[in-house]
Amino acid sequence: MDIATLGGQLLGQIPLGDIVLYLTPFNLFMFAGALIFTTLIAISRTETQVEAEFGSLNDNEVKVGLKEFKIRRFLAVVCGLATAGAMITGDVFNFTLLVALIGIVNIGIVSAVKQIDVLNAAFQYGLIAMIASLPLFGGAAIILASTGTLSILEIAQLSFTTPMMFFASVLLILGIAGETGIAPFYATKAEMFRTPGSPFILIIHLSSLLVIVRAIEILLIINKPF
Amino acid sequence: MIVPEVVPAITVSLFLPALYVALIVGFIALLGISFQKKDVHALILTDIVGVAMLIIVAAVGTDLAEALILPGLVVELAEIMAISEILMSREMRKTGKKVSFMPMPIKMDMEILKTAPNFLSLVLIVYGIFLTGFTGGAVAGVGILFYALARKSRGLPFQLWEGVSGISGVAWCIWLAGFLILFVAPEIWLLGLLMSSFGILLKVASKMGLIGVLGREEFKRN
Repeated sequence: MDIATLGGQLLGQIPLGDIVLYLTPFNLFMFAGALIFTTLIAISRTETQVEAEFGSLNDNEVKVGLKEFKIRRFLAVVCGLATAGAMITGDVFNFTLLVALIGIVNIGIVSAVKQIDVLNAAFQYGLIAMIASLPLFGGAAIILASTGTLSILEIAQLSFTTPMMFFASVLLILGIAGETGIAPFYATKAEMFRTPGSPFILIIHLSSLLVIVRAIEILLIINKPF
Repeated sequence: MIVPEVVPAITVSLFLPALYVALIVGFIALLGISFQKKDVHALILTDIVGVAMLIIVAAVGTDLAEALILPGLVVELAEIMAISEILMSREMRKTGKKVSFMPMPIKMDMEILKTAPNFLSLVLIVYGIFLTGFTGGAVAGVGILFYALARKSRGLPFQLWEGVSGISGVAWCIWLAGFLILFVAPEIWLLGLLMSSFGILLKVASKMGLIGVLGREEFKRN
């Protein structure tokens, strides 16, 4: 399955030595989407969570301090930029690296909170993210071993698919699922969304959604099922 | 086809056994994690999974695989540090006690810690600058780390420490700019090479500022 069928017309390439970025409408749309959301996050302020107190008519406000707010905003912007980079990259290696960066930054965003249950969830998510780095980097390494290259443009031109490439793709998707915390591992991440400070928490969601769409494109290019 | 003919057959045939070994190691580590009850033990066992990942990547054995190993190692280290930090802050919040960043089992109040650090760390830093590159940065970094550990009981000069972290950031930018030159304008590769090598020397040497020592309250006293 070639790049033009999946992503629309091939608009151009940015050759940086042996790292070649390719631009299709599909890539550019998701890249621009991630950048717009990152800008929105960079200029927004945190919400204040309001909880009703039990046994009285008062409300309990959970506010985020200025120092914590700054750190969290910085990490959220880094996460957004890493997502944008994963959308535009033309290299399996850079893709895995940026996904691993998203995983670390996601842990960092919630690590400064004071609720014990959120810290618990962040710890479990961190364990899963660390375990998932085995299939993630292992998958990239086996793709390198079975095709001889990591550039997606080069892999798209290969005429054969081997069982090893399929195995590597399975490993890669396992790694991405663990690193971004989607469906089978979602339980480790669900509690993290209860953290106060909403717009920064949303980038955790958005990054995993965009990364999984891009990962499916890359896996289709590698395996050429049709 | 994929493997060049200069590579001996025995080297090629080692790939699959190495892959199986890595998968078995990963499986054993996962079994260990599933049997564990304590969080600390699960965290330590998770590191074995990271070792299995390094085995898979190392089994490929090309220069591209070497480029994958280094970030893999760094990602693994960064994640284990972040998660242990989370674990510590959770336990501190549960029990209400504070924990020192570099806990020492005994009170180290020895004469040598007052006289030696300046000289020893100077020797290490000079030797590191002589080596240059990543190795030199690591040696010089050990010198700085030794200085910090030895002077821990007397309090570190906080202003100086912030300066070291600033140098680290600037050196990192020089390193990145050097790499960008290699990609964008390969004609002036010598400039890019020198910029990145000196950048990484300063960066690795001053990494202490980045592993969280700065943020700790205990280093803020002068």
